[in-house]
Amino acid sequence: MSVVDHNAIDLGPRISEAEVSDYIALLKPRVMSLVVFTALVGLVIAPVHLHPIIAFTSILCIAVGAGASGALNMWYEADIDALMSRTANRPIPRGRITRPEALTFGMTLAFFSVMTLGILVNWVAGALLAFTIFFYVVIYTMLLKRWTAQNIVIGGAAGALPPVVAWAAATGSLSVEPWLLFLIIFFWTPPHFWALALFRSDDYARAGVPMLPVVAGPDATRLQILLYTIVLVAVALAPWPLGYFDAVYGATSLVLGAGMLALAVNVYRHRDGIEATRATRRLFAFSILYLFALFATLLLEVMVRAVVPLVW
Amino acid sequence: MDEKKPDGIVLTEAQKRSRRQRSIAIALALGVLVVLFFAVTMVKGPAVLVRPM
Repeated sequence: MSVVDHNAIDLGPRISEAEVSDYIALLKPRVMSLVVFTALVGLVIAPVHLHPIIAFTSILCIAVGAGASGALNMWYEADIDALMSRTANRPIPRGRITRPEALTFGMTLAFFSVMTLGILVNWVAGALLAFTIFFYVVIYTMLLKRWTAQNIVIGGAAGALPPVVAWAAATGSLSVEPWLLFLIIFFWTPPHFWALALFRSDDYARAGVPMLPVVAGPDATRLQILLYTIVLVAVALAPWPLGYFDAVYGATSLVLGAGMLALAVNVYRHRDGIEATRATRRLFAFSILYLFALFATLLLEVMVRAVVPLVW
Repeated sequence: MDEKKPDGIVLTEAQKRSRRQRSIAIALALGVLVVLFFAVTMVKGPAVLVRPM
């Protein structure tokens, strides 16, 4: 007797109805926009004159590389994406795109972004972009995410690398400044994602993802958020006294850091009820503004220096 | 006279429309790649052949 119920298997060819918008969704456009922005800052603070076409090529390749990482992440995580309300609407769980299609799409974009950056800009940047994609897809998505509560701490390195790649694209080498940007994003990642995980912990528990609130509980997560925020504020302030970034950046970092710290303390203090949820959501929202404003300050300073050099 | 039915798979309108959209997107992406390689070659000039690792 056959154990295979052939009536349950669709043996006909599958014709895709996926639209361009479904493939764009695979690129994680919101993550991509943050990558583009931080990479742009890494590019413009580099002390070299870069031709606009080379600069555009660099940013485009970094953006496509980030998109490739997103597509490969969705290819691998389709099973848990289907279980979480935040991700159930992604193209693979919705049945718009199959996993092999997403894999092919992601690999193609990864190959072209790395090769184009290497050939047209330089191979230091190309190699760093390849490492970033590898780190996000293999180290974070395949190894860390389902294995340890430290997944987003270590995996955060992938999200922190774009300004380093961009600096390398501009200069062909590496220096202290891009690593300072790297450290800021690296230490920003845990408070940001753990704040999200606190009010989405049911989702993560259902999907079996060992996020810190699921594994260690909300109170331990609140303490970790506070500790990482203290380190973040110190790391983000340090480039000013060390002489890498100037006083305008220092003052912005100080004010924003005070806000971030106050909200993290608030999260630590309020542990139950609507107040706790509100405090967590506030920290999550402010953390986005914090990173954006810090990097925007560096970007604006460079633009102001270029437009009105006499002021400086 | 009997009308001949088309052999093989017949795409629905939605499938045809999405396939056309995807084809145009691929064509645009390839076009951008060609323009990019051309523009960077023009910008770099002879230096495009210098490839330090």
